[in-house]
Amino acid sequence: MRRRFLPAGALAVLLAATACGGGEEEQAAAEGPTLRYAAVGAPAATTHDPHGRVGNESEYLRFAMLYDVLTVTDEDGVVQPRLALSWEPAGEDLDLWTVALRDDAVFSDGEPVTAHDVLFSLNRIQGKGAENNGRLSVFDLEASSVVDEHTLELATHQPYAEVGIALASLTFVVPEGSDDITEPVVGSGPFQLEEHDDTTAVLTRNDDWWGGAADFETLQISAMPDPAARAEAVASGQADVAGSVSPASAQQYESDDAVQVSTRPAGVNYPLVMDLDTEPFDDPGVREAVKLALDREQLVETVFLGYGETGADILNSQEPFAPDAAPVERDLDRARELLEEAGHADGVELTLHATNSYPGMEETATLAAEQLAEAGIEVQIEVGAPDTYWAEVWNVEPFYLNSLGGNGFVDYARMALLSDGPTNETGWDVPEWDADFAEALATEDEGDRHAMLADLQQRVADDGGYVVWGTGDGIDLAGSGVSGLPTGPGFHRLFIERVEVSG
Amino acid sequence: MSRPVTAPAAPRPRTAGAVTGVPLLFALVRTVLLLALVSVAVFTATELLPGDAVDLRVTPGADEEEVRELREELGLDAAPWRRYLDWAGSLLTGDLGTSLVNGRPVADALAQRLPATLAVVGGALAVATPASLALAWWAGGSRRARRLSTAVLTGGAALPTAVTAAALAAVFSGALGLVPPVSLLPPGASPWQHPELLFLPVASLALPTAFFGASLLAGAVADTVRLPHVADARRRGVPPWRIASTDVLPFLLAPFTRVTANTAGGLIAAAALVETLFGYPGIGSLLVSSLASRDLPVVQATAVVAAAVVLVGLLVGDLVAALTEPRRRPVR
Repeated sequence: MRRRFLPAGALAVLLAATACGGGEEEQAAAEGPTLRYAAVGAPAATTHDPHGRVGNESEYLRFAMLYDVLTVTDEDGVVQPRLALSWEPAGEDLDLWTVALRDDAVFSDGEPVTAHDVLFSLNRIQGKGAENNGRLSVFDLEASSVVDEHTLELATHQPYAEVGIALASLTFVVPEGSDDITEPVVGSGPFQLEEHDDTTAVLTRNDDWWGGAADFETLQISAMPDPAARAEAVASGQADVAGSVSPASAQQYESDDAVQVSTRPAGVNYPLVMDLDTEPFDDPGVREAVKLALDREQLVETVFLGYGETGADILNSQEPFAPDAAPVERDLDRARELLEEAGHADGVELTLHATNSYPGMEETATLAAEQLAEAGIEVQIEVGAPDTYWAEVWNVEPFYLNSLGGNGFVDYARMALLSDGPTNETGWDVPEWDADFAEALATEDEGDRHAMLADLQQRVADDGGYVVWGTGDGIDLAGSGVSGLPTGPGFHRLFIERVEVSG
Repeated sequence: MSRPVTAPAAPRPRTAGAVTGVPLLFALVRTVLLLALVSVAVFTATELLPGDAVDLRVTPGADEEEVRELREELGLDAAPWRRYLDWAGSLLTGDLGTSLVNGRPVADALAQRLPATLAVVGGALAVATPASLALAWWAGGSRRARRLSTAVLTGGAALPTAVTAAALAAVFSGALGLVPPVSLLPPGASPWQHPELLFLPVASLALPTAFFGASLLAGAVADTVRLPHVADARRRGVPPWRIASTDVLPFLLAPFTRVTANTAGGLIAAAALVETLFGYPGIGSLLVSSLASRDLPVVQATAVVAAAVVLVGLLVGDLVAALTEPRRRPVR
């Protein structure tokens, strides 16, 4: 009576039943080509409000395709017009700007996009500043006004020559009066929302979009939290694009003809952050010793598997005004010498905080600790929980890893480098630097201004608390029929309406 | 050499009628009270986590005044007991509340994902229950292979779901290419339309569960097959299948139902991991991400639904037990 009925039997039955299921093809046979994009996203946080807290890349992608934005940055990081055709100072002081809008943008309900809609949207974004990093806090919107149907006058609190950058990428325009966006509202972007649930959104092409209809008929965006699952979705033909996969996945599929590896520069940046107000980092010699003790090439090889570049402590090396900094060569002798001069001949003991919510961050901490030890800097690593790291470690501890993926330097400086910046995590408090920053932004000539901004970045690199040892590429995978994926830095990745799909 | 008349009759499980309305009512009340207790426990546990939904919604360096306003707007400035009572009150009127992250009804989020999880958990139960019974039969029934069977069951039950999932994906998707490596449901599709997408999640959940269930049941099987009436039936040459169905199985029904209800609870927990690994959107991954964003109404609703499944399962288990528990009367 002992029947050996092992579960393998049951599995085989189930497998036989499912293998006949087949059926991925049926919905691909719709009218036009479909682009299926597996993007980073955890389903619970799905929101339709483009102006508040946006927790998922999948949502940014959806918003960028549903709504027009005022300006974008291109593959070289240079600002380009989008809904805004031009932005010109309305006076000598660079604190009042005339923004001319396209007159051919239309919401999907047929209403034209006007300056009223734009000013309403900008106000709405500013009103949710607590949730969106104070995205538009440079603007004095109360002093701003609508000039005519397609012209705005925007005031800034201080002279601000980089208004084009301030209006880039995330200035999603919704119809005036859309106070509550719990449910989707109409947009004027290259796609329209067809259907959605918490994980997947299906968008159809807006044939009347002012920029010209997209190459593909349907855009399907799926939110998938696991990077390996996203990569496998492309490898198995269940998706056409996988956004932000790990370097290991890129390496795995590098020789696979059915999968293309597409990289964007400096998508990942895990600088070491040192607080200048805390011992021993209050001594510039110690900071320089840390910078010299790291083997940056080894870090890039190990953490990013070579998909990246070494850094020279420049916070954003991708912008048009990034300085041409010489690479920082490892120099252990000099590092030890500097420590000795700073009174740490017997070495220093430090605690470096990291979190494992970002792939490679913990490896960075581990390897950096080994490298620093060779210069006599003994580092203990403490790994914090992802959901409390930004409350309990960031901007609190004196030595930790931050994650900056493609933050623009000017915006970032306003928040984190000005002495009264709300997130000045390194305690960079240099009045002269503040004054020069203000002067740069009050300089209309682009060449002069860029030279000044480059110098400002270089000064932070030399004396500041950020150790930008390298940056990793943003890595996307695509099926063989996909071409034209965005490869520029920053939010260029979101604007995928010119991608082509064949087959 | 037949002595059929004097053979002791197999004890019969108690039949219906022995259960009156009073114990049933008692069991129901107990289930409701337990559910209330679970909701308080989940609320307290989430409350004890550092940070609230507003802390996780605002960006670093946010203006304190704006943060305060947002907290007020979401009603998070009220005392915890007050918020719990508000939540429980609206639950009684059938309102699950709205998400603190996106302001949308919690019922919507649950309704979107519950079918997907039920498909996976139900599928896993459908595979694991008969499999665990079969395994328990093999382990509990064999005298020779006792050590081996214990080792197999314990080892199988101890397999982490992540390991099982990775191994199954490597074999059935990687090596054999029979099923897709991820379970991306096409928009608007029901999981039942795509059984090939269910295979890996279901198998990853079912395998460890079958061994776990079997290790719990093996003892009961071993006890039952040693009962005098079973030995006697064997001596009389009753065919094994009849012994199994009339002399053994009825005695296993009660422990079997309880074990099943328990494993169902474990399955919902394990589903969270499996759903993430295979990119399959169910309430498990909903619970994980809403916990991470401290979206209390979603956490509460998900946890209570999951707890309700287990508690109702246990209630059914108790009822079955009450109906079938054999009376250990001395043999006449």
